[in-house]
Amino acid sequence: MIYEFRYLAPKTASELVAILDGNKADGKILAGGTDLIPNIRNGLQKPRLVIDIKKYAGADKLAFGSDGLTMGPAVTINDILRSRDARERFPVLCECAHELASHQIRNRATVAGNVVNASPCSDMAPALLCLGASAVLRSASGERVVPFAKFFAGVKKTVLSPGEFLERIIVPASAAGATGRYLKLKRIAGHDLGIVGVLMTRAGGALRFAVSSAAPTPVLVESVTLKDSPDEAASKVLAAVSPISDVRGTKEYREHMIGVYVRRLLAEVK
Amino acid sequence: MKIKLTVNGLVYEHETAEHTTLLRFLREDLGLTGTKEGCGMGECGACTVILNGHAVNSCMVLAAEVDGAVINTIEGESTGPSLSDIQKAFEANHAVQCGFCTPGMVMSVKELLAGNKQPSVEEVKDAIEGNFCRCTGYTQIIEAVMDLTGRPGAKGELEHV
Ligand code: FES
Ligand code: FES
Repeated sequence: MIYEFRYLAPKTASELVAILDGNKADGKILAGGTDLIPNIRNGLQKPRLVIDIKKYAGADKLAFGSDGLTMGPAVTINDILRSRDARERFPVLCECAHELASHQIRNRATVAGNVVNASPCSDMAPALLCLGASAVLRSASGERVVPFAKFFAGVKKTVLSPGEFLERIIVPASAAGATGRYLKLKRIAGHDLGIVGVLMTRAGGALRFAVSSAAPTPVLVESVTLKDSPDEAASKVLAAVSPISDVRGTKEYREHMIGVYVRRLLAEVK
Repeated sequence: MKIKLTVNGLVYEHETAEHTTLLRFLREDLGLTGTKEGCGMGECGACTVILNGHAVNSCMVLAAEVDGAVINTIEGESTGPSLSDIQKAFEANHAVQCGFCTPGMVMSVKELLAGNKQPSVEEVKDAIEGNFCRCTGYTQIIEAVMDLTGRPGAKGELEHV
């Protein structure tokens, strides 16, 4: 790359916290790098310091315990697809993980990076929203827990403050066993961002929908029930989103396809 | 900074700038120009190498990140003049035309076959979904893999036969 920056790879979480605290203005966290490195290359981001978050002990933790499934910031999308705990207890995570980009990118991109980037078209956000997952954020001033329903603040914006990082994602044990299907509209497999994506999950009799690429942030809809007609379900979901027109599709096309997907998903469980 | 890594079984200790990508490092610092740069931003897969057992786009990895890693590139496939089995299958099935995508394709296929000796056509397509080929139309590449791995009845899974 032509653009020059410094690189640091802290070996412990507390070292990471100290580095982030001292470089709030021009430090940038590097996880999978599948967004950051092309962005630096294209001049869209110009950090003075790149801080690798994958090298500290415990960053790649992926374990199921009494609180649920815990994922450190270095856990990749393909780590999820390879994890037995994820496949057997949280198949919804795998359903969305498999739709994300290409195989090579899934080998590198992290779950934490996918949500911290806060792109409206994040594929992991719908799963984490429907499963009621939370983010544990850490900084020099301590830790706080933010449910994903309150994590996204706008296009590419989250509630993370400067100097803070996503230390782990917790998918609650109570969400284990939920099933679901994610329908993502795109032009080319593996090479495209979604035009819209609709995830429907079912846990017992309760349904949840989450929609990507249809509003400034990924959207969770909990008001649809199994008693709703397909049209009622579609209008409830559409009332919660506000798609835009862009190079990948118009607002009208997005709205139409969200309706199609909601009806289709509901028909599968009725 | 100095990094130490294993590439195709050889240990290298080398200076690199902190902002250099693994792709640049392999091509310009180690002189391993078999790995290609197509887009330089994660779209085309021409730069695919195997990093600690997993296929990755080397244009989106920093050399600094792979200190201590084990890497395989296309140069590690042949031994002297004799091609690897994957390369032979590509050659026999006309899976190479201009050849620009081939180093990346071979690496993606190599990762797949390391964990799955007899993949289905669908599994091959999944493994190479991040690799663009502008020449072959992909069919010959899938045929090369099926030819090599010999899954019984796999011919029927290919659309044009
Ligand atoms: S050069 Fe790396 S994906 Fe195209
Ligand atoms: S052979 Fe030319 S791009 Fe694949």
